[in-house]
Amino acid sequence: MGRLFNQMTRGKKKLFAVSALMVMSGLLLLPIFLSVSAVASGGGAPAGGPPADVVAAQKAGEEGEAEKVEMGRDIYYKTEGPVIGEGAPVTADNETFYPRYNFESRVLLWVANQQHLYYGSFVLAVPIFCMCIEFAGMVSKDKAMAKKYDQLAYDFIKISLTAYSLTAILGGILIFTFLTLYPAFFGYLSSIFRPVMHIYALTFVAESATLYIYYYGWDKMREGVLKWVHLSMSVILNVIGTVLMFLANSWIAFMMSPAGVDEQGRYLGNIWHVIHTALWNPLNVHRILGNMAFGGGVVAAYAAYRFLSSKTDEERAHYDWMGYIAMSLGVAFLIPLPFAGYWLMREVYAYRQQMGITLMGGLLAWLFIIQATMIGILFLTTNYYLWQALGRMTGGERFQKYIKYLVFILVVGLLVFITPHTIVMSPAELKAMGGQQHPVLGNYGVMSAKNGGINAIIMTTILSFIWYQRGNRVPTVSWAKFGNIFMGCFFVIAQLNNVWLACYGYFIPANVRIGLSVPQVAGTLSCLLLMTPLNLAMLKNGRQLGPIRWGQIPPRSQYAIIMLATAFTWMMGLMGYIRSSVRLFWHVNEVMRDNSPWAYTHTIGFAANVISFNVLFFWISIMFVFWLGTLGAKKVPVPSPAGQPVPSPQSATGH
Amino acid sequence: MTWLKLVEGYMPMQMITELAICILVFSIINYSLKRAGMGLPKFWAGIFVWCFVNLFYLKYRIYPPIPFSVRAIYGTVAACGIFMWVSGSQQEWEEFKRPIINVLDAKTGLTKFVRTALLILLPIGLWGFAYNSFLPSFDEPIELRTVHPAPPATTKVHGKTYVLQTAANPFRINPEGKYDQAYSNAHIVSQDMGRLMKDVKNPEDNPWDPNAKGYIKHVREGGEIFFQNCHFCHGDNLNGRGLWAFAFNPIPANFTDAGTIAQLQETFVFWRVAKGGIGLPGEGFPWASVMPPWEQHLTVDEIWKVIMFEYWHTGYYPRTWE
Repeated sequence: MGRLFNQMTRGKKKLFAVSALMVMSGLLLLPIFLSVSAVASGGGAPAGGPPADVVAAQKAGEEGEAEKVEMGRDIYYKTEGPVIGEGAPVTADNETFYPRYNFESRVLLWVANQQHLYYGSFVLAVPIFCMCIEFAGMVSKDKAMAKKYDQLAYDFIKISLTAYSLTAILGGILIFTFLTLYPAFFGYLSSIFRPVMHIYALTFVAESATLYIYYYGWDKMREGVLKWVHLSMSVILNVIGTVLMFLANSWIAFMMSPAGVDEQGRYLGNIWHVIHTALWNPLNVHRILGNMAFGGGVVAAYAAYRFLSSKTDEERAHYDWMGYIAMSLGVAFLIPLPFAGYWLMREVYAYRQQMGITLMGGLLAWLFIIQATMIGILFLTTNYYLWQALGRMTGGERFQKYIKYLVFILVVGLLVFITPHTIVMSPAELKAMGGQQHPVLGNYGVMSAKNGGINAIIMTTILSFIWYQRGNRVPTVSWAKFGNIFMGCFFVIAQLNNVWLACYGYFIPANVRIGLSVPQVAGTLSCLLLMTPLNLAMLKNGRQLGPIRWGQIPPRSQYAIIMLATAFTWMMGLMGYIRSSVRLFWHVNEVMRDNSPWAYTHTIGFAANVISFNVLFFWISIMFVFWLGTLGAKKVPVPSPAGQPVPSPQSATGH
Repeated sequence: MTWLKLVEGYMPMQMITELAICILVFSIINYSLKRAGMGLPKFWAGIFVWCFVNLFYLKYRIYPPIPFSVRAIYGTVAACGIFMWVSGSQQEWEEFKRPIINVLDAKTGLTKFVRTALLILLPIGLWGFAYNSFLPSFDEPIELRTVHPAPPATTKVHGKTYVLQTAANPFRINPEGKYDQAYSNAHIVSQDMGRLMKDVKNPEDNPWDPNAKGYIKHVREGGEIFFQNCHFCHGDNLNGRGLWAFAFNPIPANFTDAGTIAQLQETFVFWRVAKGGIGLPGEGFPWASVMPPWEQHLTVDEIWKVIMFEYWHTGYYPRTWE
C-alpha cells in the first residue's frame, strides 16, 4: 500500500513537473509570439491590420479633418508608405554628435562590439552542442557511453554559464559605448528598431530563464520522461537563442543594406521591411554556421588546455575525447561555412556591385587574402589533428605513410587559394614583372583557380576524415573490395573534375564561370555526403584492430586544436571588421553618413593589430572563465575511458 | 632559367606539374637511397625540399621574377607543409628531430663543434639581421595598389548619367539590332583565326570586310580608335607593352591578362576609360595611373566601340552577373 502511494506521489510529481515546465515554456515564448504579431503588423498595431499610424491617417482622411499624410518610397522594396518619424540625422564633426575621449571612438566601439560578439557567439553555439550531445547520450544503448555523453553535455553548458553572464555585461558595455560616443547614430537606429529592441530585451530574459532552468535542472531531470523534458528545454533554449541572434543581425544588416526607409532615412511604417533587408538572411545563415564552428573551436581549446594540464591518464583520456568531439562539431560546421559565405557575397554583389568590388577586388581585397590564409590554416590544422589522432589507434599507422601525398595536395591548394590578385611589391619588382599581374601567378589570383584550390583542400580533409574513421577498423563486408575501388575512383574523379573546371573557367564568360562553382561544390559535397556514409556502411561490423587509446595522442595535436581555435577567433574578428568597414564612410549605407573624424578605412596593419588585441583579450578572459569552471564542485567522476574500446567515430555530426 | 619555356596558356598548371614531378623524382631517389641504406635523414630531406622550392624553383625557374612578398607567403606555406609532413606520425617526428637533439646534447665531437658554432653564429646572424633592418633604405616604398577600385553607382559622361549596374554597350547588338551579349560572345576573335584574320570562316566575323554591318563593323571602328589613341601605351597586341609603356610606372594595363578586363563589367571599363587616372576614387590610392580622361578626347560612342574592340581582340567576355 505504502509502495503504491509512493508510486502515485512520484507519478504526480512528474506530472506536475511536466505541466509546470510546459506552462513556463509557454510563458517564456509568449513575448516571441506577441512580437511576431507585432512585427507582422508593423510594430505595436493589432495583428493583421495596417500600422496604427496608417489607420489613424485613414480615419483622418475619411473624416477630412486631419492634414494629408506624407508618403515616402522605400529605398529597397520600392513600395510606398506613410512617413513616420524623423529622417536620419545629418551629423557634423563636433562633440554634440560625436562626444569623445582623447582616443579614437571607433576603436573603443570596435573592441566592445567584438568582445560582445565573441561571447555571444559562444553562448549561442554551446547550447546547440549540448542539445546534440545530450540527445546522443539519451539514444545511446551503451549505458557507459550514455553517461559519458551526458557528462560531456553538462561540462559544455557549465562553461557557457559563466560566459553567459560575461556576454550580458559586455552587451551593457557595448550599449553604453554607443550611447556615450555615438548618441546621434544610436538614437536614429533605436528610433527605427524601437519595437525590435524591446522584443530583443524580452527574448534575452526568456533565454536567461531557460538557460538557468536547463542548467540547474540537470540533476533533477536526469531520469525517464523528465530527461526528455530537459532535452526539450534545450530545444526551446536554442530556438530563443536563434531568434535573439536574428534580431541582432537585422540591425547590422540594416546598416549595410537599409530597407523600410525612404532616401532621407525616414521610417515608413513597415517593421518587417526594416528587418528583412537584402543581406539579413545570408547573414543569419552565415552567422549560425560561424557561431557553431567558433563554439566548437573554443570548447575544443578548453579540452586541449585541460588535456595539457592533466595529471592522470583518466583525465587525459576524458579531455582527449572531449576535444575530439568539440573539434568534430566545429569542423562539421566549418565545411559548409565557405558556401554560406559565397551566398552572402553573391547577395552583396547583387545588392551593390561597388560594395562587392570594394570587398573582393578593391580596397578590402587584401583582407580577403588574409581570410583565405586563415581558412587554409583551419583546414590544414584539422588534417594535422586527424593524422595525429590516427596514432592513438592500432592500425592507424597504415595510413600515416600516405600523409605526404595529402600534404602536397593541401599545400598546392592553399598556395593557389591565397595567391593575391593585387600583389604587394616595390616599383622595381613591378617593372621587372612587366605589369600589375604576374603571367603565371596572376592566374591563381582569380576566382576560378581559387574555387579549385579550396575545393581540393576540403576534399582532402574529407579523405583524411575517412581514413580516420578506418583507423582501427577493417571493412569485412562482402563488397569491401568493390567499395574501396569505387571510393578511390570517386575521389580521383571528383578531384580531376575540380581541377578541370578550375582551368576551364578561364575560357568562358564570367557569368558562366560563376556557375561552375556549382559542379565543383557538388563534387566536394558528394564526397562528404556519399563517401562518408558509404565508408560507415563498409565499416559496419568490421574487424576491430584494437581500441582507441584515448589520451595517448601527442601534445602536438592539442596545440593544433588551440591553433585551430585561435584561427577561428582571429578570422571572426577579421571578417567582422571587413563586413563593417565595407560601409566606408556611412553609418547606414547611403542613408546616414559618418561625419566623425574616423570615417576612413584603417590601414591593414592597424586593423590586424586591433583584431589581434581583440583575440588576445578574448582568450585571456575566456581562460578566466575556464578557470572559474574548475572551481565549481566536481561531479562524480565517470568511469575512465582510457584504453576502453569506445565506439569508433561516426560522421562528424553523428556524436 | 628562361631557356626552359613556360608555355603560354598552360603556365599555371605547368608550374604545379613541374613541382609535383620534381618532388616525385626526389621521393623516388630518396626511397632508392634508403633501400640501399644511404637515405637522406628526414631533417635534411625537409630542409632540402624547402630550399629547392623556395630558393631555387620559385626564384630562378619562374619568370618574370616573383615579387618577394609572394615568395615569402609561398615559403611560409611550404615550411608549414614540410612541418606537417615530418611530424605526421610520432615515428617520423622522432626521426626528424633526432639531429637537433643530437646537436643540443652534443655527445660527439662533431655535434659539440656544431653546437658551439651555432651558439656563436646565431647571435651574429641575428645581429646582422637587426643591423640590416635598421639601415636606411633608399628603395622606393612598397605599394599596395588597389588596381580595381570600386566604381561609383553612376558616372556622368558628356552630360549624361550612366548607372553602372544597368548600363549596356549600345553597339553590342545582334543582326536584329538588339543588345545581345551572347551573339557578340559567339563572334569574338578566336585564336585559330590568326592575327591577320586569314582564316575567317564566317563573313559576319570578318572585320576587314568593307561591307561589314552591325557588331563586327563597330568592332572595326573601335579598332581604328584603339590604334589612333590607345596602342601607344597598351600595345598593338593589347598586352600593355606599347611603345611608350615602359616610360610609365606602373606600366599600362595588359588586357590579355585574365585579371584585367576579363574580370570586369563593361560599364566598369567605360567608367575607367572615360575618367582616366585622374578620376580614380580615393580607394585607388596612390592613383598611380597616367591614363588621360578619354571623355575629353572621345565621344561616348567611341568609348563604347573601343571597349568592344578590346574584348573582341583579347577573346574575353565582359563580366555579367546573371
